[in-house]
Amino acid sequence: MKRCNLSAEVEIKRFIIANFARDVTPDELGSDLNLLDSGVVDSLGLLRLIAWVGDTYHIPVNDVNVSTDDFSSIDAIRSFIEESRSGVLQNDRSS
Amino acid sequence: MPSRSFLTLFSERVKIQPDAPALSWGGQIVSYAELDWMVGSMSSAIAGLDLTQDAPVCVPARKSPETIALVIACLKAGHRVLLPSDLLGADALAELCTQVGCTYVLSSRENVRFTASLGRQPEPGELGLMLTTSGSTGSPKTVVLSAEGVDRFLSWGTSQFGIKPGVIVLNYAPLNFDLCLLDIWATLAVGACAELVEQDKATDGTYLLDLCTRRALTVIQAVPMFYRLLADAILDGRAFDSVEHVICTGDALPLKLLERLPRLFPQATLWNVYGCTETNDSFLHEVTVDEALAHGTVPIGRPITGVDAVIVDESGAIIDGSGSGELLVTTPFQTRGYLDQQLNGERWREGYFRTGDTVRRDENGLFFLIGRNDYHVKVRGVRTNLQEVERVILDHLDVLEAAVVAVPDEIAGHLLHVVVRRRPYSGLNSIQLRAHSAAKLPRTAVPSVVEIVDHALPRTSTGKIDRNVVRAYREKMQLVG
Repeated sequence: MKRCNLSAEVEIKRFIIANFARDVTPDELGSDLNLLDSGVVDSLGLLRLIAWVGDTYHIPVNDVNVSTDDFSSIDAIRSFIEESRSGVLQNDRSS
Repeated sequence: MPSRSFLTLFSERVKIQPDAPALSWGGQIVSYAELDWMVGSMSSAIAGLDLTQDAPVCVPARKSPETIALVIACLKAGHRVLLPSDLLGADALAELCTQVGCTYVLSSRENVRFTASLGRQPEPGELGLMLTTSGSTGSPKTVVLSAEGVDRFLSWGTSQFGIKPGVIVLNYAPLNFDLCLLDIWATLAVGACAELVEQDKATDGTYLLDLCTRRALTVIQAVPMFYRLLADAILDGRAFDSVEHVICTGDALPLKLLERLPRLFPQATLWNVYGCTETNDSFLHEVTVDEALAHGTVPIGRPITGVDAVIVDESGAIIDGSGSGELLVTTPFQTRGYLDQQLNGERWREGYFRTGDTVRRDENGLFFLIGRNDYHVKVRGVRTNLQEVERVILDHLDVLEAAVVAVPDEIAGHLLHVVVRRRPYSGLNSIQLRAHSAAKLPRTAVPSVVEIVDHALPRTSTGKIDRNVVRAYREKMQLVG
């Protein structure tokens, strides 16, 4: 489980660096950085990010209620992926 | 530029102070008598050409004492002088000559005859000088100076900045710029000395530092880039104590640069001057670091005596009191208009010139430049000012230079790209810069693409960052992916 999380974190970082911050090293991109408030990911970028998470982790992002909070940081995205995969998500979200 | 009264004043100076320095160039001093002698020999050469009285001639503005003498000789002979940039391509030069009706392109080295049809006849009171302005968009526009306007400017400028015999005025601008009306032509009219910066060395900080150290300059007029190059070149604690007036013009003066100026020029008054070729100087403000910091920007100040300024909204209605909109000005120094009548209709409104600049007037009547109207773009439907974004980015301590450009985007309309030159060894990255921008700007105004570089950004011949080059480069990068 631990290994899986680490790899998701690395993959998310890679995607963000490749698409939004090419000059940055993975070390410089903090997992708790607010990607939206800091302007790293803009509203169009957010759509791409959500689509990528859906494709990569086989999460039906179009069918679930996705909140921008779920994508506000790398930590948040990782939690979102974990929760979605464990199936907790729909129940929690609908409330 | 030289009007009839300029020619009279200049001749008087030649008689009164023949041995006084008129021009300083490449380490050589040209006295008033020597300059007058050069004018004489140029006059003989012009007299040998088949030119009718009043015929306009073209003198490409390659800066040198010889070119200055040639311009004076042409005006003395009664010719109107078109003074375009000497960097203009052959085709553009030919087209310009045809428009104006110049049959000769003259230089101190060789004269080229053009078979151009005679242009429009001059109107009474038209000054002998025509300048061109490129603006940020479009082809060169020919601006016809007015004799009375130039006379009034020479008188105002010399008294405002204490230009008189014994004074040395630094000329940084290329010879075809209206700025030369002050730092060359007004200087020569009153018997002071113009220190000419060599154009091909104008971005060499070491050369500028050496020049300012060698010569006890009294007045400096230059774009902010000059001051930055000079400040960056100083490695010791040296200061220029002889300087009494430091005039910044042509571009917004960044606060970080302003803060360095009082140490460089401890005895000087700092001025921010706003103007354009069509109206000449229009606003003047005595700048203090404290006031600029309090406002967060350097004001352009208040209209010069005799200048009337109005602000209009998008519908053209005049805004009274505080507010922002396009600046319209009328000045005692302004031109008679463009050569192109159609252009006159577009840019002048009841004697007021439409500057194309957006300004803000505060409750105390102080004016602030917001930016060019054409720097406004729609990003995701939101009107965004590129210069405002740029100013915020330049506020970051590790940013040396920045250019914000709008790249067309199918979805967003435009996306903002910024290219930033960072301070060496600062380690500044795009995330830090975005966080900085996001803290001060609306989301839509935070650049979508941030590129950090360690080299200087491309600049135009006037020292402004060449946004066209930056934009073309970013558009190309966008296609590459």
